[in-house]
Amino acid sequence: MRAVFLHTLRRFRGSIPAWGLSLAALGLIVVPFYDVYLAQEEQMLQFIENYPPEFLAFFGGMAAINTPAGFLDSQLATLPVIFGIFAVLAGSALFARDEESGRLDLIMAHPVSRLLLFGGRFAAFVFATTGILLICWLGFALPLRGSSMDVGMWQMALPMLSTLAVVLVFGTFALLLSMLLPSRRTAAATAGGVMVASFFLSGFANLNADLKPVARLLPYEYFQGGYAISGLNLTWFAGLLAASTFFAAIAGWRFQHRDIRVGGERSHRFSRPSRPRHPQP
Amino acid sequence: MPDSLAIQTRGLTKSYAGVTALRGLDLKVRQGEIFGFLGPNGAGKTTTIRCLLDQIRPDHGTASVLGFDAQQDPVSVQARVGYLPGELHLEDNLSGRRILRYFSALRRRAVDRATANSLAERLRLDLDTPIKNLSKGNKQKIGLIQALMHRPDLLLLDEPTSGLDPLVQQEVQAIVREAKAAGTTVFFCSHVMSEVEAVADRVGIIREGRLVEVADTAALVNRAVRHVTVRFQTDVPADALEGVRGVTVLTRADSRNVSVQVEGEMDALVKALAALPVAFLKTNQPTLEDVFLAYYQSDNSPPG
Repeated sequence: MRAVFLHTLRRFRGSIPAWGLSLAALGLIVVPFYDVYLAQEEQMLQFIENYPPEFLAFFGGMAAINTPAGFLDSQLATLPVIFGIFAVLAGSALFARDEESGRLDLIMAHPVSRLLLFGGRFAAFVFATTGILLICWLGFALPLRGSSMDVGMWQMALPMLSTLAVVLVFGTFALLLSMLLPSRRTAAATAGGVMVASFFLSGFANLNADLKPVARLLPYEYFQGGYAISGLNLTWFAGLLAASTFFAAIAGWRFQHRDIRVGGERSHRFSRPSRPRHPQP
Repeated sequence: MPDSLAIQTRGLTKSYAGVTALRGLDLKVRQGEIFGFLGPNGAGKTTTIRCLLDQIRPDHGTASVLGFDAQQDPVSVQARVGYLPGELHLEDNLSGRRILRYFSALRRRAVDRATANSLAERLRLDLDTPIKNLSKGNKQKIGLIQALMHRPDLLLLDEPTSGLDPLVQQEVQAIVREAKAAGTTVFFCSHVMSEVEAVADRVGIIREGRLVEVADTAALVNRAVRHVTVRFQTDVPADALEGVRGVTVLTRADSRNVSVQVEGEMDALVKALAALPVAFLKTNQPTLEDVFLAYYQSDNSPPG
């Protein structure tokens, strides 16, 4: 499993610094901007009030934008969707990419059980996702020293944990779909669609309370954003991790019990009951 | 499974999306032999290998490899088997050395690095070149090295010489023979009949998911139909070769030239010709390809 883990992690060696540094750059801009915002609070509030009320409601009203939690929440609102792109692509590709390109059958001819192969790759995916958010956290935490934002470095880790929990749900969902759907592309598109729908449903639920029950079925509703600095909602956090574990477990079970596509087959078909063309012997 | 069998399948059946790839395949491969597995595309060769490696699960039947149940204990099978897939795909951004190191790690370092290096040298392969810069033939060489480098008890080779030049093909055949001499069983799928004929001890022919023939390679070839052309010094009666066992007269240009077809042994024809004034005799040596084509051109009935 160690060999599988290290090899898979090596394949993330480009993604981890690229995504991590990009998201960290966001923190390097956002945190110092809080001081700029406070210095020009009146003008900023006037500016924000000019937005359509529906727009403000979509993002939770922005009533507390002059507080560190409210300000961070407004800046981190799209982080699970942006970073979710990585999770969805990486999750859907974890096995399907090698399978569709015909590489998986040779790997699986080596003496590694399907369980260990799945475990090694999945652990590398979780490690890479966590590593990216760790770099991202540094980008948000390091500028805090020179900022008037009264937030500790460890407090700043809490929104990152909330983000991690949400994107792991999207990533493991994409992984599960890659085990069920005909191609990696279909799996990524479906999981990405659910991710975007989740984001918009949570926003629209602020405008229309009838949408709230539907939004509650989707992960983004349990993203705490900047408000996590006041304390992580452990129930939500554990719930999201449980959902990820559930999706990963089903994906692992499916991987252990299904046929592996052979090189050149590209995508497989949906399984459907059909009669063989030739009679059974 | 008897100890002397490296592979045994019983009633192996596998269907994909409405197509039955294997239909009750019963196969026995003895330990230490080179077994040629012949069949056109879609006959079930690759499906058989993939069942043996537990990459796909059969709908019915069982498969045992080296005494281990392929579905119940696949890791034990995989630890003892070297596999070269028919369609080889490797990570393009790695070098040959790097990918072999990864495969070695998957085998928990049960690989002699010197073996890999000596195979690379023998196949004239630079292991430090990125795979994306290698030709198809050179990628195939990496596939061969990874299949052989842990000195497996069983080699499953699916079109092993595909893309290789004739000199390297001969080298691969030599490596396969050496593997056999070292006690390795070789299960060898190929479309190159001359190659199978050159290396295989026994041959199995698969057609539409069923094994239609298994025989010693030499016996199978000897059993095949030969075409014999005879020119006599003097006129001979038209019925001179009538009734000779296994002989069918095909054409009789004149009373001195005759072309016949012989099924099985030549003995009866040679004895019949001994009594006649033969000026010239030409026999077409049948090949495995003739045997194979006969199976596929006739309606599943064995030739000869």
